[in-house]
Amino acid sequence: MDQFLQQLINGVSIGSIYALMAVGYSLVYSIMNFSNFAHGGVIMLSAYMGYFAIILLDVSFGVALLLATLGATLIAVLIERIAYSPLRKRKAPTLYFIISAMGMSILLENLVIATIGPQFKTYPIIFAESTIKLGNLSISKMDIFMLIIAAIALAGLVFFLNKTRTGIAVRAATYNARASQLMGVNVGRIVSIVFALGGALAGIAGVFFGIRYTVYAQAGIITNKAFVAAVFGGLGSLPGAIIGSILLGIIETFVAAWRSQLRDLTTFAILIAVLVLKPTGLMGKNTEDKA
Amino acid sequence: MKKLKKLALLILMMSICLTLIVACGSGDKEQGNIAGKTIKIGWIGSLTGDQSVFGICERDTIQMLVDEVNKEGGIAGKQLEFIPYDTRGTPEEAVNAVNRLVNNDKVLVILGPNSSGLAIPIASVLEKGKVADIATVATNEKVTVDNGVLKPYNFRVCFIDPYQGGVAATFAYKEQGFKTAAILSDISDEYSQGMAEYFKKTFEDLGGEIIAEEAFKTGDVDFRPQLTKIKDKAPDCIFLPYFYKEVSLTAQQADEIGIETTFIGGDGWTSDQLMEMGGPYLQGSFIVNHVDFDDPEVQGLTNQFLETYPGQPVQLNTFMGHDAFVTAKAAIEKVAAAESKISSAAVAKALEGIQVKGITGTIHISPDDHNPIGKEAAIITIDGDQYKFVMKYAADMSN
Repeated sequence: MDQFLQQLINGVSIGSIYALMAVGYSLVYSIMNFSNFAHGGVIMLSAYMGYFAIILLDVSFGVALLLATLGATLIAVLIERIAYSPLRKRKAPTLYFIISAMGMSILLENLVIATIGPQFKTYPIIFAESTIKLGNLSISKMDIFMLIIAAIALAGLVFFLNKTRTGIAVRAATYNARASQLMGVNVGRIVSIVFALGGALAGIAGVFFGIRYTVYAQAGIITNKAFVAAVFGGLGSLPGAIIGSILLGIIETFVAAWRSQLRDLTTFAILIAVLVLKPTGLMGKNTEDKA
Repeated sequence: MKKLKKLALLILMMSICLTLIVACGSGDKEQGNIAGKTIKIGWIGSLTGDQSVFGICERDTIQMLVDEVNKEGGIAGKQLEFIPYDTRGTPEEAVNAVNRLVNNDKVLVILGPNSSGLAIPIASVLEKGKVADIATVATNEKVTVDNGVLKPYNFRVCFIDPYQGGVAATFAYKEQGFKTAAILSDISDEYSQGMAEYFKKTFEDLGGEIIAEEAFKTGDVDFRPQLTKIKDKAPDCIFLPYFYKEVSLTAQQADEIGIETTFIGGDGWTSDQLMEMGGPYLQGSFIVNHVDFDDPEVQGLTNQFLETYPGQPVQLNTFMGHDAFVTAKAAIEKVAAAESKISSAAVAKALEGIQVKGITGTIHISPDDHNPIGKEAAIITIDGDQYKFVMKYAADMSN
């Protein structure tokens, strides 16, 4: 029983990192209708920014998190301007966006290898006593802290989307971009805002990823899992992305505990099964053009 | 018709000539290269590229030892001539360098290279020229034996990857008294799998029990599901045969879950970054390595190197290069004592079964697989932020 509960805790911890990543994915998907594979690159860069903020600027963890989040926001918007905006203006097919996104993701990875180098970096230890013990169970303080930050960030996002004028405009644009443009919504600006929001979430995810799993140029690969989670939950749906991520984290943990070599097999089998059997995922909204 | 006869005759004559040439050739080649006025010893390794720090160190060490032997009168009255070539870290250049050494320079024996990737492709050139090569830090099994077939001219002075697993298991069982062990290994890495397999076999042969075998894949960063399962079985020790990054993450996550057993690993661990990230969680862990720089027995060579090359760092290659050289020297001396002509083929023959006191332990080359038999490894523990030498230790892997 103890082992079951501990594995459940492990699963939620892994899933919550996926969730922070998957929400950013889903958000961009909901308005652009394509999977922004450069999202992983932003997460990786954010992990580096947080690391360098602590090491070089000698700031506290909170400040580093803030700086990395701001940096990631900026980078995400910049990527949109450089790699997607020209395509959008040309009304290029979705495939072009995906190719551009993949190119951007590989470019960022190699940029880091060329400038910072291939060696991994380690965040300094942030919480001296790192776990809380409950009988035989242990929970990492960093996980709890991350859950709190993630909850605040996601609650803020939901508030923004539902209660502010701009948020409503975003939702209108995700529902029907062309119609909302006709109603006077500046879709170009809305796209920038969505990328900024996605970037901010990637920023938070990147720092927590770096703390837990070290910082390295290939870190963006982990977002493949977040992508699966987003599809599992239903691309374009924010609650779907969160639930899909936590579920995927738990499934992965139990599969790994049973037969570790079957973990990725299961993950990607889920991806294919969802696309074939229920393309809308757990909570997705429409079936058109999943890519 | 006449024309056809002429053609047939021509072909016949040509084939006779060809046979003669080939026969002459093989007659000459039977003994490989013969020592002339000097005894030529070749060396290949990376002098440029990211491995150059190891290559330069190895070349300089051997040059220093060659100079020393020459000052004392050489071998059998002949001076040694050391011919080092750069491989630039690529297999093609390694093959070219060996070709030059074997066919142009006519060396008796070749030392180096220090990596398996360069040592594996040179086998056929060595075989044609009947010149032996003694690799320094090429630890892949395939360097000397491929698919059960012994490569007659490839030797090495380092132990192979899986052997570390055997040493680790023997040390854990006999010296630490651990009766149960768990293994976490990288299923997509040959190095990791080889070590895990030998650890298991040796530990079980000794009477220990492997109570958990878990795996992950290169690139994975979260090991908590596997560790949680291992924790439940409460083993005396956990064997982690992989590299420092994953080891650091494993140790950190094991601490988080509340695992308090001893970790044991191999030469993939040693890195400054292991200390930085995993140090606090790896206190009291044991590492099996080729040699330890703090071992009192290596201090003589270390000092000699530092006096000869002030400011240059001492690497593992200093010790492995030294041992490759003394092994070659012993083989040449053995041939010189028995025969008037020193041939490279005879040196290769003499290497089989030779026994020399090296700096990294006794080098006893097995005639069966051309690897050193029962070679001692250095056991190192982590204490504070230091690697501390524990002892030299060999495993009996004969069964």
